[in-house]
Amino acid sequence: MATLKTLVYLILYPGLLFIFFYSTFAEWYDRKLYARLQNRMGPTHTGRAGVLQPIADFIKLMSKEDIVPERADRGMFRALPAFGLAIVSTGMLLLPVWNYSLSNPSATSFSGDIVVLLYILSLPTFIFFLAGWSSTNLFSTVGATRVLTMLFGYEVPLFLTVLTPAVLANSWRLAEIAAFYRHHPWLALLNIPAFIIALICVQAKLERTPFDIPHAETEIVGGTFTEYSGKKLALFRLMMDVELVVAAGLLATVFLGGFPGGLLPGLINFIIKTLLVIFLLSLLRATTSRIRVDQVISLSWRYLAPLAVIQLLVIIFIKGLIS
Amino acid sequence: MSFQIPIGPQHPALKEPIGVRVTVDGEIIREADLRLGYNHRGVEKLAEQKTWTQNIYLMERICGICSHSHATCYVQGVEKLMEIEPPKRGLYIRILVSELERVHSHLLWLGVAGHEAGFDSFFMYVWRDREIVMDILETISGNRVHYAINAIGGVRRDLDELQIKHILDSLELLRQRSAYYQKLGTTEPSFVARLAGVGYLSREDAIELCAVGPTLRASGVPMDVRKDDPYAVYDEVPFEVCTADSCDVLGRTVVRIKELLQSYNIIEFLLKNLPAGPIAVRAPRRAKPNEVVSRYEAPRGENIHYIKSNGSDKPERLKVRAPTLANYAATIKMLKNGFIADVPLIFAAIDPCICCAERSVAIVDARTAQERIVTMSSLRELSLKTAKYQTRKREAEWPL
Amino acid sequence: MKLGVFIPELLRHLFKKPATVDYPFQKLTVPPDFRGSPYLRPELCIACRACERDCPAEAIEITVTNEAEKKFNMVIHNDRCIHCAQCVDSCPTDAMQMDNLFEISDYDRHNMKKRWDFVRAVVKPKAETKS
Repeated sequence: MATLKTLVYLILYPGLLFIFFYSTFAEWYDRKLYARLQNRMGPTHTGRAGVLQPIADFIKLMSKEDIVPERADRGMFRALPAFGLAIVSTGMLLLPVWNYSLSNPSATSFSGDIVVLLYILSLPTFIFFLAGWSSTNLFSTVGATRVLTMLFGYEVPLFLTVLTPAVLANSWRLAEIAAFYRHHPWLALLNIPAFIIALICVQAKLERTPFDIPHAETEIVGGTFTEYSGKKLALFRLMMDVELVVAAGLLATVFLGGFPGGLLPGLINFIIKTLLVIFLLSLLRATTSRIRVDQVISLSWRYLAPLAVIQLLVIIFIKGLIS
Repeated sequence: MSFQIPIGPQHPALKEPIGVRVTVDGEIIREADLRLGYNHRGVEKLAEQKTWTQNIYLMERICGICSHSHATCYVQGVEKLMEIEPPKRGLYIRILVSELERVHSHLLWLGVAGHEAGFDSFFMYVWRDREIVMDILETISGNRVHYAINAIGGVRRDLDELQIKHILDSLELLRQRSAYYQKLGTTEPSFVARLAGVGYLSREDAIELCAVGPTLRASGVPMDVRKDDPYAVYDEVPFEVCTADSCDVLGRTVVRIKELLQSYNIIEFLLKNLPAGPIAVRAPRRAKPNEVVSRYEAPRGENIHYIKSNGSDKPERLKVRAPTLANYAATIKMLKNGFIADVPLIFAAIDPCICCAERSVAIVDARTAQERIVTMSSLRELSLKTAKYQTRKREAEWPL
Repeated sequence: MKLGVFIPELLRHLFKKPATVDYPFQKLTVPPDFRGSPYLRPELCIACRACERDCPAEAIEITVTNEAEKKFNMVIHNDRCIHCAQCVDSCPTDAMQMDNLFEISDYDRHNMKKRWDFVRAVVKPKAETKS
């Protein structure tokens, strides 16, 4: 019975099949919203209102020719897309969707799993860096250095703002944090500045406008992905979609109160809350233009990090007041 | 660690092929080098084989965006050679299409600047409003690009009351939208952060390196062919020369938006004061032997055509100096000490129309990379030798 | 420096119809004077060859099929045509006209050529022509 349940978790929900279909749905939602904000149509013909378009793109990329550059590091070049996809899919397992019971911690929901999830979300940045570095192409090298330069900017505010609600909720376990904010909704309002800063930092982690500097199309051709084609590029793009869902799920768990209710209400809660976060991320994407990488560093260290520290101090003060 | 990055010939930032090689040190550019010639089509040689009328259509196809400017500059020169004066109504219609082309070109540039900076929503909105201008041009001339409204001696099509009313109504909408884009383009923080301080060109450098057009006017120099050397009806039409003082890409954006607003005023004046009368005079087939220089203010700057005739119905020599060619030297100066991230923006800020500016400068042997400069006469001999074993079009084997 | 100047405009467009058209399922109409492809009205043609001389792309070819009976054959190479309508302006009897079709592409360029066989008409040319 336990192994059957584990297999269902791993393969069906919230496992691989659910990840694949939901992340392509999230990509469709993002693209359609972005298009409608710009007064144009977005994906239209594949499936009803273009819902199957990201799956069609995935299938098309899988069927294209796969070229490995001559001077690239063959082992790393080939293995990186698969590693990346495996890492972010593991992150999906840690989100408290159905696979947790509040009273006894299990392998997917334990004390400290918020830190593990943040660590899992940092790894794709290194995967991108290694992908750009092992391509030995000028544009990829510039893209790879930009990825790391951005990491120095947004990582600290992201960690501070995601751990702030954990401090107030007095726990390091995602399921408990979500349950705490469900029982005390007024305290969740105190975290709104942290939510805004976390949105901006998550946008930087996912490398979307205004932070899509590492793969800026008009400046360095494809950036880190210049030399990737065919199946490897398909896996990288799927990895970026899954990263979007995992990051949105993290923000929804920590700030918006998680996904209670077991199988069906939990699923509906998950969809609604992650789509709300993705709506805000797409709005941010449509409103701004790309900024330079040195401006990212100065923005994060001048505004985001001090505000995150101030927010943390306020929360600690309030926690002292409550208890 | 300094290495050379090739921007182009094929690059998503460029709409046309040009080879820019930048030597970078981290993210800062130390040296830049420009290589032309990837789009060279031999237009000047082909123009010597076609009659005066056929050349109007050839001149149009030098560029798609500023097609009317090349055709008008040529036609003005030929009218001077043939010593004919087009009637007033023809000139008004010609300048009306010129100003509409300026509007569409500046709106296109605004969208492209947004796209190069990563501001895609701005790009989509501006190009949606540019469709209004393209539809007006289609109604007047029959095509959205390559309007072919010029004939030697005037214009080919007339305007009627319905079209004039349609244009005046669309102007209201365009004015409102352009004012909104002016506000948005100059206050959106992430966009301004990309544009401000980028591509600095001081006033002295701009004059010394012979920059033209909005690139020059954004450095505070009020030079505009329409005011300095008025052609057609520009001495009767009231307008101002727009300048800015910031000498950077933001200044060039502001200059182009101000020119948009000025063009709307000019179009309204032209439509309200359109004189009655014929639209063209009959032009002779041949021109007397003479040479003429014709200047025109294209949306990108000053366009110069030199035409020499020898009494037959074909030109003897036709030389085109497009405005982008004059701005290349200024671009190299602007690229130095910038960031890599600024290269597409600096390049886009001069509004490059690389196809306009394809004139050969040096012959490079493809196998040995040896460069040599040859005189015009030896180039001519080389081309005549090659043409001897290639038959004319009618007898040629079409390759498909 | 105002933040979010663009947001109200963006959100308003969520509820408007898109500005793009779902081509090829919906098509836009072209204005009546649109320059499509040239065609000949043979009953008016006096075979003066003005169009052949003035065409910039050498897209009109007029040959004599029978000298005594004044029979001519005109081929318009629509694949060479640049749709400038100079032939319409040069024609002294209004025999050349432009239609307004724009979806004229084909897989084979030889299918795009149009031919007419006609007898030279006896029509008085107009007094005024453009060069």
